[in-house]
Amino acid sequence: MTSPLTPETTPALRHIERRANWLLMLIAGLVAGFVLYVMVARGVFESTQQLVLISDDSEGVIVGMDLTFSGFPIGRVRRIELAADGMARMVVDVPHKEAHWLRTSSIFTLERGMVGDTRIRAYSGIMSDPPLPPNSERTLLRGDTSAEMPRLIASARALLENLETMTATESPLNASLGQLKTTTERMNGRYGVLSGVMGSDDQAKKIIQTLERANSLLTKAEQRVFDKGGVIDNTQATLISSKTALDQLQSVLSDSRNTLKNVDAVLAEAQAVGTNVRIASADLGVLRAEVEASLRRLSQLTDEINRKWPFARDTEIKLP
Amino acid sequence: MPASPALPERRSTLLHELLRHARSWGHMLHVGSVVLVLALSPGSYTPEFRRRTAQHIYTSTWQVMSWFTALAALLSLVVIRIVVVTALSYGLSQYALQMVVRVLVLELIPLCAALFVALRAGMAFNAGAVGEADKQPSAQRALDLVHLQTHLAPRVLADAFAVLALATLSSVVVLVLAYLTVYGFSPWGLAGFTRTVGQVFDLPVSLGFFLKTLFFSLAVAVVPLAASLEAEPKRASDTIQPGAVRLLLVLFLLEALSLAVKYI
Repeated sequence: MTSPLTPETTPALRHIERRANWLLMLIAGLVAGFVLYVMVARGVFESTQQLVLISDDSEGVIVGMDLTFSGFPIGRVRRIELAADGMARMVVDVPHKEAHWLRTSSIFTLERGMVGDTRIRAYSGIMSDPPLPPNSERTLLRGDTSAEMPRLIASARALLENLETMTATESPLNASLGQLKTTTERMNGRYGVLSGVMGSDDQAKKIIQTLERANSLLTKAEQRVFDKGGVIDNTQATLISSKTALDQLQSVLSDSRNTLKNVDAVLAEAQAVGTNVRIASADLGVLRAEVEASLRRLSQLTDEINRKWPFARDTEIKLP
Repeated sequence: MPASPALPERRSTLLHELLRHARSWGHMLHVGSVVLVLALSPGSYTPEFRRRTAQHIYTSTWQVMSWFTALAALLSLVVIRIVVVTALSYGLSQYALQMVVRVLVLELIPLCAALFVALRAGMAFNAGAVGEADKQPSAQRALDLVHLQTHLAPRVLADAFAVLALATLSSVVVLVLAYLTVYGFSPWGLAGFTRTVGQVFDLPVSLGFFLKTLFFSLAVAVVPLAASLEAEPKRASDTIQPGAVRLLLVLFLLEALSLAVKYI
């Protein structure tokens, strides 16, 4: 039963009214905030560009599904429709701030796993390509796990058959394993790995004998080479005598050098003599010319005297 | 033959019961619509009406809000933890958050709030808050509009508001708890969380959530009131509160209808 209001209860009632008003405002604020949050979450306030993905099968795709890039949602399926050519058209809203992840070379895949929902993924290999223009239409590549199952089972069956063939009693693998067993048994024998490699103990024994002989040969060679009076000692003595001979040769060479210097001086003097002779030869030529000129004048003088009296005579020759 | 006179009698009893139920449901709808009209009429909002409504809101919501929210948070935390851990163990962690939001916010929290307010409101009515118990049944059938307007409409409004308030507040708390359970105190999960909430609350689901909570609140406010008004003096001594079964039936019918529309 509600009691009539009395003056005594008025302050308490006012207090209650104030609280009720607070409560109303709180709940109204919460409801408004929640509605706003859901609108933001639904992307109502985002400016978007449209992308149309075309596939032959839209099974598993639902409105509101994400388009992911590297695992991050960058778009949301807004509408799915059946085109006139029988292909499924999925209209995706991509916010402008995320659109730069999509390039003209981007590819889009529809993946359906054995467990979980279907996923639409975008891959952009070359980020330097031009951005994807709005309202672009791209084909959706399908990667269906359940569709791959028959092929996988067929491959697995072929693999198992191969495995069965390989592991059969007469199979090459079995024979190889048998031979491997024989080899390892030989390796465990007296001559170890050598028997396994050579094929039998006799062959291994020969190898060991050869090694022993080579060892003794090496010992003898060492004695011949490095012992006292061996090849090394002879060589050392030869080297020492050669060094002495070289020293002597060096002194001979220095003497020869001195001699050659003397010869150089002699040659210089001979060169000076030669020069003098050349000058003398030039003077001799002039002298000869003067002598010839004197002789010619003398001859002319003689001819002049002969033409003069008493020495004149008839020089005419008379023929018979 | 002793069976032959009993059959018509049984038929008439069954018919009588059916008619009584039909009348009762009709009465409930009538009371509900009258109270709704009174509550939505601007003329009803006199200072006295507002004072009474505020008083009832204080009683039905303010006084229980804190510990109902705490209890809902505790139970929700348990459910969230179970769902998240189970989803993680099956490698389905990406669906955990969606499942938590769908199960708790969309289904359990509104139902719990409605049942809780129904329990309190029913107890209040049963305690004689209606003030009609001393009247004759004939007088009860003819609704006293003045009494409805001055005394019962504020209570109905307050109860309906209580369901909406408790469901809203608990839903927000559950969302915060779900975020903290999945991402911890890191702010970097907010974008993914918002996106998941956006995926869950598409237009049909949001509309269904709003309508379901609204009908829950109306049912909780009106059904016990109508049942109390209809209760006859001879049944006033019944241990079960009047209209409890009907209210449960209405609530579960609404829940079933909501589930059927959403998931079938």
